[in-house]
Amino acid sequence: MSQQTQPQPIAQRFVGESVKRSEDFRILTGTGNYVDDIQLPGMLHAAFLRSPYAHALITNVDVSEARKLPGVVAVMSGADLQAILAPGAPSPGFFGPAPVKFTILATSKVRLVGDPVAIVVAESRYIAEDALQLIEVDYDDLPPVATSEQALDPTSTPIFEDLGSNVIAAPTTNTFGDVEAAFARADRTISAHLTQHRHQNVPMECRGIVGDYHPDDDTLTVHGSNQGVGIAKMVMSIQLGIPADNVRVLCGDIGGSFGLKIGAAREEIATCALSKHLGKPVKWIEDRNEHLSSSGHAREETLDAEIAVTDEGDILAMKVKMVVDTGAYPGMGAMLGGMVQGMIPGPYSLEALEFEFAATVTNKATYVAYRGPWAAETFCRERMVDIVAHELGLEPLEVRRRNIAFQGDKPADMITGRSLIGSTARESLEKAAEVIDVEAFRARQAKAREEGKYLGLGMATFIEAAPGPRGEGGGLGNEQMRMRLDEDGTLLVFTAQMPHGQSHETTLAQVAAEEFGVPFESVKVVVGDSDQVPFGFTGGSRAATMAGGASLHTARALKDQVLEVASHLMEASAEDLEIVDGNVGVKGVPARAKPLATLVAEARQPGKLPEGVEATFEVTRNYDGGKGGWSSATHCAIVEVDVETGLVEIERYVAVEDCGKLINPAVVEGQVRGGVAQGIGAVLLERSAYDDQAQFLAGTFMDYLLPSTTEVPRIEIHHLETVPLDPDVNFRGIGEGGMIVAPPTLCNAIEDALSPFGVRITEQHLPPLRILELIGALD
Amino acid sequence: MTTDINLTVNGTDRTATSVEVRKTLADFLREDLGLTGTHLGCEHGVCGACTVLVDGEPVRSCLMFAVQAEGTTITTIEGLGDRDHMSTLQEAMRDSHAFQCGFCTPGFLMQITALLDENPKPTEPEIREALSGNICRCTGYESILNGVLRATGAEVPASAASHH
Repeated sequence: MSQQTQPQPIAQRFVGESVKRSEDFRILTGTGNYVDDIQLPGMLHAAFLRSPYAHALITNVDVSEARKLPGVVAVMSGADLQAILAPGAPSPGFFGPAPVKFTILATSKVRLVGDPVAIVVAESRYIAEDALQLIEVDYDDLPPVATSEQALDPTSTPIFEDLGSNVIAAPTTNTFGDVEAAFARADRTISAHLTQHRHQNVPMECRGIVGDYHPDDDTLTVHGSNQGVGIAKMVMSIQLGIPADNVRVLCGDIGGSFGLKIGAAREEIATCALSKHLGKPVKWIEDRNEHLSSSGHAREETLDAEIAVTDEGDILAMKVKMVVDTGAYPGMGAMLGGMVQGMIPGPYSLEALEFEFAATVTNKATYVAYRGPWAAETFCRERMVDIVAHELGLEPLEVRRRNIAFQGDKPADMITGRSLIGSTARESLEKAAEVIDVEAFRARQAKAREEGKYLGLGMATFIEAAPGPRGEGGGLGNEQMRMRLDEDGTLLVFTAQMPHGQSHETTLAQVAAEEFGVPFESVKVVVGDSDQVPFGFTGGSRAATMAGGASLHTARALKDQVLEVASHLMEASAEDLEIVDGNVGVKGVPARAKPLATLVAEARQPGKLPEGVEATFEVTRNYDGGKGGWSSATHCAIVEVDVETGLVEIERYVAVEDCGKLINPAVVEGQVRGGVAQGIGAVLLERSAYDDQAQFLAGTFMDYLLPSTTEVPRIEIHHLETVPLDPDVNFRGIGEGGMIVAPPTLCNAIEDALSPFGVRITEQHLPPLRILELIGALD
Repeated sequence: MTTDINLTVNGTDRTATSVEVRKTLADFLREDLGLTGTHLGCEHGVCGACTVLVDGEPVRSCLMFAVQAEGTTITTIEGLGDRDHMSTLQEAMRDSHAFQCGFCTPGFLMQITALLDENPKPTEPEIREALSGNICRCTGYESILNGVLRATGAEVPASAASHH
C-alpha cells in the first residue's frame, strides 16, 4: 500500500448505526399523512350498519327512511351494493378468492356481531351515523356457533351454506420420522391440552379508506392504510370491475397494523364501490367499536400435545392435534396448519412428529394475521418443555440444553425438513442463562417463598424463518426494487415495502446510501404508490433480508452504471473510479471528484457518451434472498405473582436475540420491545371475548385492556450476530419474534411462580381472576 | 343546531362559524381548522391519542365538544415546533427513537408537555404514572420514557443491550 499523501474522504458507514429516523420529522410535528387526514373536495362520508346478532337470517332491510334524512346521499342494503359490484367477482379471501361464497355486505344472513348489513353515504360522518338509526332490518335468529367444539359437531347449523358444515379444513394428519417407534422407546408420555385465546392486533389507527372515482376516465384512486398497495389494487380492480391499470392505491403514514391491514376489507370495497357509483370521493374511517368487533381477531387455537420423553429429559417425539377457530369470514386461519407444522420442532432435535390440523368457522370475527400468526408452534413447544421438566423434576433450562440442536460440522435439520444452518438458538439460551443466573435466582426464589412472595422464572427459545435458509432449489421468493439517481443527485429508492412503524424510510436508506456512496440525507425512499413502487407488501418479517438485500444489490447495480458512464466522461476506467459522499472521482484523488448531479447533467448532453452506453440512471433488480438464514432468540422473564390480588408483576425481562447483522440497532430494539409488550398484553390483559351465544363482549378499551406504561417493564436486549451465511446480505427479520416468544416466556414464569400451589398452566390468558382461580383462592 | 366559536389555537385567534354544537373538539380541530396532527384512536377517552392542552391542561379532545372550548387557549402538536424548529421535547424524542408508527405520538407529546410544565424533573415512576393513560401499541414505552428523561436533561438508563 502506498502511503497516503492527502486526506482521503472516508466512505460513510450507515449500516449498524442507530441513525435517527427520517420519518420523525413528520411524526413529531403533527404533519404525518394518515388516511383520515385526507380531505378531498366534495368528499362524502360512509358509515356501516352492523348486525347485533351472531347468526341470523335477514328477512327484510328497509332503507327508505334513512334515504330521506337531509344530508344523506346514498343508502344501500347488501343486495343494493351487490348490484353495483363487478358481476361474477369471486368472494375475496386473504390473498385471493375465498373458499366459500359470501357478499360484500351481508344479504341473506349475518354471520357475526358486527357483520356489515348496510352502508350510508352522507355529507358528514355525523349525518351518516344518524341515518343508520333509521334503517330497519328484520332478522330471524339462527343457532349461533360459538366455539370450534360446536363447529365440529355435524349437527351445527352451517354458517356458509356452500360449505355444508362448519369445518373449513377437515382434520389432516402428517407424520415425520417414525412416530410409533419413538413413542414405544419413550420412558413416559406427557400430555396437555393447551389453548391460545382470541385476541387481536389493535393498531392505534383503525382501518380506513378514501375512494376517489372519476367517471370521465373510469379511474379509481384509493387512499388507504394498507400493508401492500399492489394487493389492494388487484382486489379493488376485480371487485369493482375497473381495469387494474386504472386503479391507483396510495398510502401515506399508517398508524400500525401488525398483520391486519392486507388486501381490501369488505368495508373498503363497499366504500370504493359507492365512490364509483356516485362519482365522488367517499371516506370511511372505522371507529374503535367497529374495529374491536369486526376488523378481525387472531390466535384462538387449541393444541393437544403428547410428548415422548426419556426419564433423563430427552424429548424424542411429539404428537400435536391443532384446531383453529377461523371465525366467520375466511381470513388466513385455514392456512395456518402448514406453517405451524413446519415450525413446531423449532431448533430442537426431534426423532419424529405427528401433526394434525383442522380449522373451523364460527360466528365470530375473521381470523386475521397478527404478528407471527404461526406462534402456536412456539407456545405449544415451549410450554410443553416446561411441563416436561416439571413432570420429570428437572430444571427447564436443562431440558432445553438437552434437546436444542447443536451446530456441529454438519448443521442439523428440523424433522419437518429445513436445515437449521446458522441458527444460534443454543447460543441465545446459554447467554440468557448466564445473564439471568438461574442458580442464583433459585436461591432467591426459595428465600422469597419463605416470606410468602412468589417469584417465578420462565424461558422460551424459538427460531423464525425471517426469511429462513435457502434450501435446495431456493424458495425465498423475490423482492423487486427500483432506484433512480435524480438530476439533483438524490437517490430515489422505490420499495415494495409499505412501512407502518418499521422505519423502512430510514433503514433502507441506510443500506442504499452506504452501498451507493452518498450521504444518508441524499436518499429518499418512496413508498405507498402502486403507480411507482414494485408489487409487494410488508409482513412476515421479510423486509430486513428481502428489502435490505434488494437495496444493497440495486444500489450496487446502479453504482456500476454510474461508474461506467463516469469512465467515459472522466477518461478513467470504471474500476479506478468510486463514489464517495455523493461525488464520483478517481480513487485516491478526491480533489478532482465531481458531484453526482454534475455527472448526470453532463451525461444528458448530446454526444458526450459513445453509443450503447446506458445512461438511464435507473435500474430495477429482483433480489432472491441470497443465502437467507434464521432469526432466533431466547427470552427470559422473572415475575412476582401476588397471590392476594392475582396480579403479575414483571420484575425483569431479558431478550437475547439474533437477527444477523443489525441495520439500525435502535430500530431493532424497538421491534423487540414492541413485540414483547404485545405478548405481555396477550397474557395478562387482552381478550376478544364472546359469550356462549357468540355475543361480543369486548367492544371498548374498557373491556379490551391494553398494556400501558405501568405494565411494561424495561427490557434488556442482548444481540448475538450469527456467523454470516451470505457474502453480502446477512440482515434478518425481527418484527414478529417478540410477540411469538413472549407469551410462553411469561406463562412459564407464572407457572414457575405458582409451583407451590401445584398449578399447571395450559392456557395463555392469565388475568388476575384466572390466577386466583388457578391457586384456589376463589373457592 | 350550529354556533360560532372563538378561541386561540397555537397562539393564533381563530373564529369558526356555523359549527354544529354536537361536534367534538377533536373533529373541530381536524376538520374545521385543518389541524390533523391531533389523532383519534378510540373516541371514548381511553387511548389518549387525541390529547390537547386546553388552557394548559391536558384534555381528551374526543370527549369535549368544540362549543365547550369557546374562549379557551388550545395547544396542539402543531404548536410545539415545526420540522426546522423542533422543540427540546421533539428533539429528545427523535434522539431516543421514541415512536414507530406515530399515531399515538401527538397525544403523548401533549401529555408530556403538561407533565413537564408541572414537574420539570419527573422521576421514571412519575413519568410512568403520568403517561399511563396514553396507549402506544408499537414501542413497549421504554423509548418514550427515555425521550422524556432526555428532554429533562436527566440521565437516560444505559441500554442493557450489548453486542457479541
